[in-house]
Amino acid sequence: MTADALSITFSALADPTRRAILARLVSGESSVTALARPFKISMPGISKHLKVLERAGLISRGRQAQWRPCRLEAEPLKQVSDWTEGYRRHWEGSFDRLGEYLAEIQAKGKTTKHHGK
Amino acid sequence: MENNAAPKSEFTITRVFNAPRTLVFDAWTEASRLAQWWGPKGSTLKVAKLDLRPGGTFLYSMLTPDGREMWGKFVYREIVPPERLVLVNSFSDASGNIVRAPFSPDWPLEILNVMTLTEEGGRTTLSLTGGPINASEAECRKFDSWHDSMRQGFGGTFDQLEAYLAGY
Repeated sequence: MTADALSITFSALADPTRRAILARLVSGESSVTALARPFKISMPGISKHLKVLERAGLISRGRQAQWRPCRLEAEPLKQVSDWTEGYRRHWEGSFDRLGEYLAEIQAKGKTTKHHGK
Repeated sequence: MENNAAPKSEFTITRVFNAPRTLVFDAWTEASRLAQWWGPKGSTLKVAKLDLRPGGTFLYSMLTPDGREMWGKFVYREIVPPERLVLVNSFSDASGNIVRAPFSPDWPLEILNVMTLTEEGGRTTLSLTGGPINASEAECRKFDSWHDSMRQGFGGTFDQLEAYLAGY
């Protein structure tokens, strides 16, 4: 069984350092050295995170330039955001019905029982 | 299980119901009640099986207003009446085998949902958190890390990403 693309994106996003890296890339592409600067992690450590992000399709690395800049890729993030939206809509719809159902059965209960608390 | 703790993040949906939580919990766990609300508006739910225990399955079919039939199931992980329910939801066939979502190949096969109920003054706050899981992540250890991240929430980082995506 192949893993869901979404699950891969979610696991890549599960790490706070990786999320911070993505957040930095929102403002534009960056070198690995510049990306590593704010973190107390070794360069190999940063490289490892970048590999996870690259495998998940969340970033791409330049091929030409010597410094191989990292760039944010929006598509998988958009999928996560779309999924979240769909999931929310799905449940909100059911909860509307649940609210109606609860109101209905309580109203019924009141007419069969005597009034007052 | 400790690692099924409800995470806090933007994946949490909260809703307040004007009903005591025992009633809300019953609505989640009794077949005849579930049939009244679970599923999209206008759909009809038929319960094939409801085995309310950890590892047990709720198997159902949904008939959409346009006449399509979809099967789905819950597999329960944790049941704490009247306050907490942890379950894995997926689309399935009539025998309960997991299948792809009929409307999207990208929809995750299995979604872990953590539902908690709190009651105050006769009103119940329902909080539901969920996220995709897959077979390779089915082990508890993996759940831990996923849940840790969900508990922290994607927070400010994710807000930035959302803003970025809005303009994408």
